[in-house]
Amino acid sequence: MSYLADNNEGVQHLLLGNEAIARGALEAGVKVATGYPGTPSSEIMESLSKVAHGRNMYVEWSINEKLAMEVAAAGSFARLRSMCVMKQNGVNVGSDFLLHLALTGTREGMVIIACEDPGAHSSINEGEARMFAGMLEIPLLEPGDFQELKDMVKWAFDLSEEIRNLVMVRSVTRLSHGSGNVKFGKLPEIDTNVDAGFQCDGFILDPDKGAMISMPVNHFHGRLQEKLKKAREIFEDCLFNTYNGVEKPELLIITSSACNLYCKEAIALLGVEDRVGLLKLGTTWPLPPELIKKNLSRTDNIFIVEEVLPIMEGNIKVLAAEMAPEIGVKNFYGKNAGNLPTSGELNPDLVLDALKTILSVEYEDMPESYKKKAQAVALTGAPNRELTFCPGCPHRASFWSIHGALKLDGRKGFVCGDIGCYGLGVLPTGFSTIKALHAMGSGIGVASGFGKLRQFGMDQAVVAVCGDSTFFHAGINGLLNAVHHSSDVTFIVLDNGGTAMTGFQPHPGLTVNAMGDEVPGLDIAAICGSLGIRVEIGDPFDLKGTQETLTELIQDKKGVKVLILRKNCALSPERKNKKDYEMHIDEGICLGENCGCNRLCTRIFRCPGLVWDQERKTSRIDEAICAGCGVCVDICPAEAIKKKEAA
Amino acid sequence: MRVFGSNELLKDVLERDLCIGCGACMELCPYLKSHRGKTAMLFPCTLPEGRCHAYCPKVEVNLDDLSLKFFDTSYEGTPLGSYRYVKTARAGEKVDNGDFQAGGTVSALMSFALKKGYLDAAVLTDRKGILPVPRLVTNPEDVFTCSSSKYTAAPTLLACNQAIKKGYKRTGVVGTPCQVLALAQMRSNPMKEKDFTDPVGLVVGLFCTWALDFRAFEAFISEHVDVNKITKLDIPPPPAESMEVFAGDDKIEISLDEIRQLIPETCSYCIDMTSEFSDISVGVLEGRPDINTLIIRTERGKNIVDEAQEEGYLVVGEIPEENLEHLIWAAGNKKKKALIKGKQDGLLNISEEDKRAYLRVNTKTIEKIIA
Ligand SMILES: Cc1cc2nc3c(=O)[nH]c(=O)nc-3n(C[C@H](O)[C@H](O)[C@H](O)COP(=O)(O)OP(=O)(O)OC[C@H]3O[C@@H](n4cnc5c(N)ncnc54)[C@H](O)[C@@H]3O)c2cc1C
Ligand code: SF4
Ligand code: SF4
Ligand code: SF4
Ligand code: SF4
Repeated sequence: MSYLADNNEGVQHLLLGNEAIARGALEAGVKVATGYPGTPSSEIMESLSKVAHGRNMYVEWSINEKLAMEVAAAGSFARLRSMCVMKQNGVNVGSDFLLHLALTGTREGMVIIACEDPGAHSSINEGEARMFAGMLEIPLLEPGDFQELKDMVKWAFDLSEEIRNLVMVRSVTRLSHGSGNVKFGKLPEIDTNVDAGFQCDGFILDPDKGAMISMPVNHFHGRLQEKLKKAREIFEDCLFNTYNGVEKPELLIITSSACNLYCKEAIALLGVEDRVGLLKLGTTWPLPPELIKKNLSRTDNIFIVEEVLPIMEGNIKVLAAEMAPEIGVKNFYGKNAGNLPTSGELNPDLVLDALKTILSVEYEDMPESYKKKAQAVALTGAPNRELTFCPGCPHRASFWSIHGALKLDGRKGFVCGDIGCYGLGVLPTGFSTIKALHAMGSGIGVASGFGKLRQFGMDQAVVAVCGDSTFFHAGINGLLNAVHHSSDVTFIVLDNGGTAMTGFQPHPGLTVNAMGDEVPGLDIAAICGSLGIRVEIGDPFDLKGTQETLTELIQDKKGVKVLILRKNCALSPERKNKKDYEMHIDEGICLGENCGCNRLCTRIFRCPGLVWDQERKTSRIDEAICAGCGVCVDICPAEAIKKKEAA
Repeated sequence: MRVFGSNELLKDVLERDLCIGCGACMELCPYLKSHRGKTAMLFPCTLPEGRCHAYCPKVEVNLDDLSLKFFDTSYEGTPLGSYRYVKTARAGEKVDNGDFQAGGTVSALMSFALKKGYLDAAVLTDRKGILPVPRLVTNPEDVFTCSSSKYTAAPTLLACNQAIKKGYKRTGVVGTPCQVLALAQMRSNPMKEKDFTDPVGLVVGLFCTWALDFRAFEAFISEHVDVNKITKLDIPPPPAESMEVFAGDDKIEISLDEIRQLIPETCSYCIDMTSEFSDISVGVLEGRPDINTLIIRTERGKNIVDEAQEEGYLVVGEIPEENLEHLIWAAGNKKKKALIKGKQDGLLNISEEDKRAYLRVNTKTIEKIIA
C-alpha cells in the first residue's frame, strides 16, 4: 500500500503538495472523491485512486468538472464525506451547479479543491477561482505551506459539517507541485459498514431530512448567509491565521498561500524582522473582522501580498474603511499602489524588491558585475528549446495533414481548438494551424458558429479539433449544437487513447476507470454516427490517406463532417520506448537546402528526431530521440528517409 | 532572366491573381500543389532562387532572352511569332476516328511521335468529371483518351516535371500558350544547371484566347446541373455563341457571355494566342470546325509533320488567304490589348530592386505593337 496510507501517527514524509492534500482528505475519512484532470491538480486524484480500494472509497475521474461536483454532492447528501478536485477554470465549468448547491447546502462534509496556476505554467488562462467563493458565499481556505495543505484540507471537512455547506480550498502550482515534509496525523478506521442513504422524506426546509432544493430562494439565501456568518465567527480564532513579528512593526504584511513562503524569505534576506510583521491568513473569505482589526491596529503601513488579482486586498480595504474611525487611516501597499504586478506569478525577488522600496533599504543579493556574467552564461548555456510535440506524436502528423488540406482547399480556412497537447497546434510545431483557442470543447463550439456565417458571405473552411477526453468533457455539446443547426464544419477528434496532457487518466472512451476497475467504454465514432452525419476514421500516420479524406470533407460544404484520427500518444504505455521502425537518412540522396526540398523535414516538419547537419548539409536521424514512427518517410520528396521494420 | 524564389512567386503571381494554374511550379518540391484548379503553397520556402519562380509564365518572363534562345532573334512581336509556314491539317486515314476537338491533328501527331519512338512519353490533359487532370502517357493509343479541349485551365505541366523526375529524356508536351511559355523557360536552363540537356522532345502548342477558372466554372455550372452527371461540354463553332452541357439525358445551353465572366483576369495579360515557343502550333480553322490550322515553327516540327503526312497519319493542306489574314489580325489584337493592359498596370519592364516585372520585352517592340 502507498506511503500515503501510512498509519503511523507523527511520522514525517516528504510529500508533493498534492499528496499532502490527498493525505489530508484521507485523514478526514473522505469516501467519495471526484475530479477532472488538469495541471496542477491531477496528482491529488491519482494518489487517492491508488488507495481507493484499500480504504473503501469511491474515486472517479468524471467527464467534466460539473459532473465531478454533482457526483461528489450526491456523496455528501448521502452522508458521506466527499471532495471534488480540479484546476482553476474547472471551477468555472461547475459553477452553475455550485450556485445552486451553495443554496441547498451539504450534509456530510464536502470540500472543493481548486488548484490554480498563477503564471499560467500549464494553462492558457490565469483564472481566479477565489472570486467564486465571494460570489457563491462559501468559505475559502488558503494553506500557506505543505503541512497546512494536509491539515487545512482535513479541517475543511469539519468546517463544512459545522456550517452545513461546501468549503473551497485553494492551492497553487508552487504548493501543489512543490515538496515538503509533512507530519502525519491519524487515519480513521476503515469503515466497511457504511450506512449511506439520502434522506429526503422530511419537512422540505429540514436540512437533514428534507429535499435538496433551493426554493424558496429567499429562505435558502438567508440561510446561506447565516452559514457564512458562522464561518466568519469560527475564523476569528482559527489557528491557520498566524502573526509573526514584533508587537508594533513599522510595516504589516498581510499574505496567504504560497506568498507566505515568499514573504518569509524576503523578510529574512533583507534582515528586517524587527521592522516588519507578517500576518498569514489561512481563511481568506470571509475575513474575520476582529482579527483584521487587531492586526491593522499594529501600524499605519499595510502591505498586502497575494498572487494575480488584488482580491484579498480589496476585502481588507473594505474592512479598513469601515474601521477607520477606530483604527485610523492606513497607507496601503500592494497591487493597486503598483508595488506588485496584477498578472503572473510572484516570487521572493518580486516581494523583496517591493519591500526594499517601501522600507527604503539597500540590498544587493549579488554584485551587479557577477549578475551580468551569470545572465550571459545562462543565455549561451541554455539550449534554445521551443515547445514542440514529442517525437512520434500523432498530433504532428494530424496537423500536417490538416494544414495541407486547408492550404489545398485554398479558402483561407482555419482551425478552432481547445485545451490539450494539441493546443500546441497554434505554434510552428503544429504548423500554426489553430487560430482560435479557448476553453475545453470551445473549438467545436466556436466552429459551430463560424459554420453558420455563409449567409453573410463567409466562405472560409471551418475546422475544429478536440481530443478524446475533451470530446466527452464538453466537445459533445458543441457537436450537438453544430449538427442540430446544420453548421458547415469539419470536426476532427484527435483520439490518442487517453488524457495525455495530464498523464493518461482514463476517460469514458476507455474500459477502465480511475480505480482500475473495468467499465464500459464509449465509442466516439458510434456516438457521432448516431447523429446521422458522415463519420470517417483515419490513422494520422497515413498522411496521404488522411489528407485526401480531409480535403474531401473540408470541400463538402454541407453540414457537419467528423473525422476521428486514432493513434495512441507517443508516451502512452502502449507506445513508449517501442520503435516500430529503425530510421535512416541516405545522405547521398538527401536534397538538403537545394531547390526541390529546402530541408522540409528539419525546417518545417521538425520532429525532434530529425536534425540538420550544418557541416555536411544533410539531414540526419538522431537515434536517441527518434521514436521510430516512420511518418517522415512520407514527407521526404527525394525518398532519402528510409525505414526498416524494427527487430 | 531574373530568377527569384517562392516568396516572390507568392507575392507577384498568386497574391496578384495572375496564376493560371499551369502546373509549371509543381512536382518540383513538396511546397506547391494544385487542387481543383487552384495553386496552393503548402509551407513557406525560404530559398532566394528556385525553379518555381524561374519556370512560371506569369512573372519575369524575358521574351527577348527566350526568342534569342529558340529563334536566334530578339522578340519582334509579330502576331504569330517566328514560324516557317502556316497550313491546315487533320488526322489521316491511319488514325481511327476519335473524339477530337477539331481535326484531331494534335492527337494524331503525338500518337505518331510516340509510336515512332521520337518521344518516350507525352504530357497531355485528361479529365475526371469536369476537372481537367494532367496525364503522362507512354502508350500511343492512350493519347486518344486525352483528346478534345477542356475549357478550364489545367496544371498540365506538373506531369512534365514528373516525367523529368522519372528520367524520360524525350518528352512531348501539348499545352496552351501560357504552358508553352513556361516550358520554354524550363528548357532554357534558367537555374544554370551543369550537364543540362533539354528533356523535351516535341512541343505542340494550342491556340488560346481564354481558359476558365475551374472553381468559378464548377460553382457556376452546379447552379444549372448536377456536376457529377455531366458527360460532355462543348462550345460549337460560331455563330452559336453558347456552351452546350450534356448531363444525363439533358442538354442545356449557356450563353458564352455568361461563361466569359468566368475567365480569370490573368488571361487578359496574355500576349500569346498561338503558342509562339512551340515546335508546332494547332488551332481550329475558322469556319471549318473539323479542320485545324497548323503553324510549323521549327525544324523538328517540320520533320515530324512531313513524316506523319507521308505515313498517312496527317492530311495537310493550304490555308485560305482570308483565314490566315484573320488569324494574324486576331493574334495581333490579343497581343496589343494585353500589352496595353500590362503597361497600364505597371507590370512591364519594372526595374526597381524589390519589384519584379510580369513581362520583359525590348521597348522598340512594345512601341510597335501598341502603336
Ligand atoms: C483552353 C483552350 C482554349 C482554346 N482556345 C482556342 C481558340 O480560341 N482558338 C482556336 O483556334 N483554338 C483554341 N483551342 C485549341 C483547339 O480547341 C484545339 O485544342 C486544337 O485545335 C486542337 O484540335 P485537335 O482536334 O487537334 O485536338 P485533339 O486531338 O482533340 O487534342 C486536344 C489536345 O488538347 C489538350 N488539352 C485539352 N484541354 C487542355 C487544356 N485545358 N489545357 C492544355 N491542354 C489541353 C489535350 O491534351 C489533347 O492532347 C483552345 C484549346 C484549349 C484547351
Ligand atoms: S526531407 Fe528528405 S531530402 Fe529533404 S532534407 Fe529531409 S531527408 Fe533530405
Ligand atoms: S524554390 Fe525550389 S524548393 Fe522552394 S518552393 Fe520553389 S521550387 Fe520548391
Ligand atoms: S507556374 Fe503556373 S501554376 Fe505556378 S504560379 Fe505560375 S502560373 Fe501559377
Ligand atoms: S489566354 Fe493565355 S493565360 Fe489564359 S489560358 Fe490561354 S494561354 Fe493561358
